[in-house]
Amino acid sequence: MDLARNPELRERLAAEFALGTLRGRARQRLRRWIAEEPALAKTVRDWELRLAPMAAAAVPVQPPARVWRAIEERLGRERVRPGGIWANLAFWRNLGLVASGVAAGLIAAIIAAPPRPAPAPQPVVVRVPSNEMAASYLAVLSDQKTQKPMLIVSAGRSSNELWVKTLDPAIQVPDRSLELWALPPGQPPKSLGVIPRAEKMTALKLVAAADQALGDVPALAVSLEPSGGSPTGAPTGPVLYTGPFLKYW
Amino acid sequence: MGADPLVALLAACAQGNRAAFEQLYRQTSAKLFGVALRIVRQEDLAEEVLQDCYIRIWNRAGDYREGLAAPMTWMASIVRNRSLDWVRRANPEVIDVDGEIIEGVASDAAGPLADLERSRDGAALARCLRELEAKQRQAILLAFHDGLSHSELAAHLRQPLGTVKTWVRRGLAKLKTCLGEA
Repeated sequence: MDLARNPELRERLAAEFALGTLRGRARQRLRRWIAEEPALAKTVRDWELRLAPMAAAAVPVQPPARVWRAIEERLGRERVRPGGIWANLAFWRNLGLVASGVAAGLIAAIIAAPPRPAPAPQPVVVRVPSNEMAASYLAVLSDQKTQKPMLIVSAGRSSNELWVKTLDPAIQVPDRSLELWALPPGQPPKSLGVIPRAEKMTALKLVAAADQALGDVPALAVSLEPSGGSPTGAPTGPVLYTGPFLKYW
Repeated sequence: MGADPLVALLAACAQGNRAAFEQLYRQTSAKLFGVALRIVRQEDLAEEVLQDCYIRIWNRAGDYREGLAAPMTWMASIVRNRSLDWVRRANPEVIDVDGEIIEGVASDAAGPLADLERSRDGAALARCLRELEAKQRQAILLAFHDGLSHSELAAHLRQPLGTVKTWVRRGLAKLKTCLGEA
């Protein structure tokens, strides 16, 4: 579809984006065009401002006090602006990553890995059915700075689902995605998918059963990526959380 | 209409004033939470949307331009945008707990349009919404307030998808023309 040459369609899509009837993939696609095309961004913005006064009719609902506490906490943490690109190794050093063997290996792997134009696989989100823990792989990923555990990742040996539990929902950053990576020895990091927002416990689909897909993986990492995940198939943003990937049996 | 105190709060936020930000939150969060909740329908999700949006409002307060929109309009558009990104639901049931919006649409009298008329940016929009055909107006208000997609609208209004799409498209086109003349 050539939006540039179809002003009528542009106008309609912009209006429906703002109204909210444009949904799912169509919405994401238009969002990408908006990012590339300032004129389209303005058309959308105009529509948003045209329609937004209707929100005055919304019935107010007092949010629970924890929302403000979480905002304050995030503002405290976001003093370090995650504007960094992967190439910005200073950011890494600040995170104290270089000292860790895992991280050093990861950096080497990333520098060596040619960028591949493979988009991150879209995760399948499922709610967890039970809390039983059979023979499983298990990782606790910690904040590099504070050493605070932030995520738990687990998978049954023969399961092809990787469960991710976010210990602190405030780790999600506006306009960015957190992407989970396997760090196989001597190879570039392998994307395991974008960690979905808002869900306390979610599953990422593995390409094979955990034993095959991750049996040789000693560690996992989470990097901060553009919304939707790394556009190159390799990490492009700073690594925020890492942890050893252990066999729990 | 006097100066909107939220304008000053946003300006202070742009300079990094955290106390102003807290004031802004106290004064606007209930309305914005209402907007988010209505669209995403799940409290935990709406809470996260709200968190995200206030972080964004804090970071972008300097981008706010008073000439373009009232602060509430600007913030509401951020919240709506985010809510629509996050909404993922299986059934198109409209919550409309209070029935207010639907009834307001039907009665054409008080309700949402009256609220709209009182707001700084809303008077012209309210007038133009009244000029639409009732079905166009209903479709647009439902899509806006309840975050319904085309197919959800079609299911809710028990009309063919194509019919509903046409109502929305024509309604939006008329709105633009009407607002352009205002």
